[in-house]
Amino acid sequence: MKYFQYRYIILGAILLLVGACQPEGEYILEKPATPYNISIPKYFPTQLNIPADNPLTEEGIKLGRYLFYDGNLSGRTSPDSLMSCATCHRQEHGFSVGATSRFNDGRPFGLTGRKTIHSVMPLVNLVFNSQGYTWNGAINNNNNQLGNPDLGVPESQPYTHQNIESIVWMTIVDPAEIDGSIERTVHAIAQKPMYPPLFKAAFGTEEVTIDRICKAIAQFVRTLVSGNSKFDRYIRGEENLSPDELEGYNLFMTEQGADCFHCHGGAGNPLFTTHLFYNNAKDNVFTDAFDRSFVTGKPSDKGAYKAPTLRNASFRTAFMHDGRYKSIDEVLEFYNENLVYSPYVDPLMHHLSTQGIQLPQTKLLKLKAFLYTLNDTAFIQNPALGNPFTQPK
Amino acid sequence: MVQKVSILLCFLFFIFGCEEKEKQPDTGTLSINFKHTVDNDLLKFDTLLYVNKAGNHYLVDNIQYFISHVELVRADGAKINIQSSPIHYVDTDIPATQQWNITDALPEGNYTGINFIFGLLPADNQDYKFVNPPESMMFWPSNLGGGYHAMKLNGKWQRNDSLINLNIHIGRGKTGGDVFVDNYCTIKIAHSFNIHADSQASLILDMNVNKWFESPNTYDFNAYGSGIMENQEAMRKICENGVYVFSCK
Repeated sequence: MKYFQYRYIILGAILLLVGACQPEGEYILEKPATPYNISIPKYFPTQLNIPADNPLTEEGIKLGRYLFYDGNLSGRTSPDSLMSCATCHRQEHGFSVGATSRFNDGRPFGLTGRKTIHSVMPLVNLVFNSQGYTWNGAINNNNNQLGNPDLGVPESQPYTHQNIESIVWMTIVDPAEIDGSIERTVHAIAQKPMYPPLFKAAFGTEEVTIDRICKAIAQFVRTLVSGNSKFDRYIRGEENLSPDELEGYNLFMTEQGADCFHCHGGAGNPLFTTHLFYNNAKDNVFTDAFDRSFVTGKPSDKGAYKAPTLRNASFRTAFMHDGRYKSIDEVLEFYNENLVYSPYVDPLMHHLSTQGIQLPQTKLLKLKAFLYTLNDTAFIQNPALGNPFTQPK
Repeated sequence: MVQKVSILLCFLFFIFGCEEKEKQPDTGTLSINFKHTVDNDLLKFDTLLYVNKAGNHYLVDNIQYFISHVELVRADGAKINIQSSPIHYVDTDIPATQQWNITDALPEGNYTGINFIFGLLPADNQDYKFVNPPESMMFWPSNLGGGYHAMKLNGKWQRNDSLINLNIHIGRGKTGGDVFVDNYCTIKIAHSFNIHADSQASLILDMNVNKWFESPNTYDFNAYGSGIMENQEAMRKICENGVYVFSCK
């Protein structure tokens, strides 16, 4: 027995000596990043859209949060040329664009003044979405496209078109957004002394790469989970809705009422979106080349766009893919009496034949009251999701 | 004494060790492929091609539905319940759902039929049974009884010169007051097929869409309009017709 103990002690000493003789840094075991488990609200999906090569870690999320809010993501240093994800995805507006920003018509413009093709989608509960990202769902797990040579991005890894990571590099080179270059952004981030240690903690070494920037931001975005609205507390049995809110919910949930739930969910689908794509009868002339038919090639998808979540909708100031409506009131007015016929309207819009749901004003107000129960102020005001440069870390 | 016990144990070991193991039945598996047709032709989506018994011209955009509690009928009358997955979801927009590879080990031999529930039985039709899409998107509003749609059949039909949206959605219905009734169909199809040991048999389950509107009830879109979730009479008629909708190949 003693023989074995001595043998291990000697072996350990030898290994220690050998290790100590190696050049500094090469064989130092890195502290692995700490796995992060998303807290899933009750009744939410349990299937998460997290790529196998980018698991969530405490350190990755922390780095991603800094990058999300860092104007140097633009690759520039001049104060009037800073731009980050948070420039358009503002927490106080449910991580969507808002009128208090410089983008007051719903479609923001990038550093060169060019407007984005579509309005800004809210970054909320995206970790539960497996139906594709952006208004037309072009960013999805089945898209094998790589890079964008027209914008100087090579057709190779890591420039996929599949997930939130992809949206980050696209934003950097999009002429209507940052209008920058991968190299310039990587250089600008690597130049800031605060970042190399954060990259090391998250990914093992201090190297700053576009792959790591995209992965870290995507990790942070996946933690933007909103599941504590008044309605959430209602379905968990923790709080009651008022009679008006309840009546509004019943209207929301019935075909003969407002029939919102087929596309926007409800208690059984508390994301308040199916993440699917519908032509909701806004137009009868279709000029946008980047609607859903751009992705599917199906003529029947003309004028179809993703149904956005209605969570925190009242904090937004731009609605529909082109931001044409500025308030919930305008949206309700549209659905009530301004539907437009075209052969491409989704079959679920069955109030089309009467140009809308045709509810009296009193009922519309109740519907609106219900929509306000989807506001999650704890999410909107959560300091842990706010700007780390100005808020508690 | 120890020697005697050892000899006895060895003896018993040899006796039982040499006994032939009980022969396990040879088994195979089954794949069900879901096909959607209109009177023998493969359903062509989004195209105004079809006419039902009532004379309504219509098109189909998509169909989603559950089938559950499948049982296979053997030639000797014995019934084999599919246990690995009691509920299967089919979505014409999701090709992967249209092939169901059943992992149950099924005894080889001749089978004479397949029975199943179209939709969900009351015990299965409970709120929050499915929290993940696509099944979760089939939820049925709690104010209409809760649970899940048995089927969503979405399309359009022609009235005068316009296309009217059509939503044949089946789920829990209200018969009056707060009395709810579960709408589902019990389907029994006589069909002969064989399961062979160590191989996968294949069945085609064919939904003839026109049959939803044909018999025993002639279902006229003019009479029931676009949405029927709050119309128990319409849902009942659809379910009664549903018994004749499926065939097997």
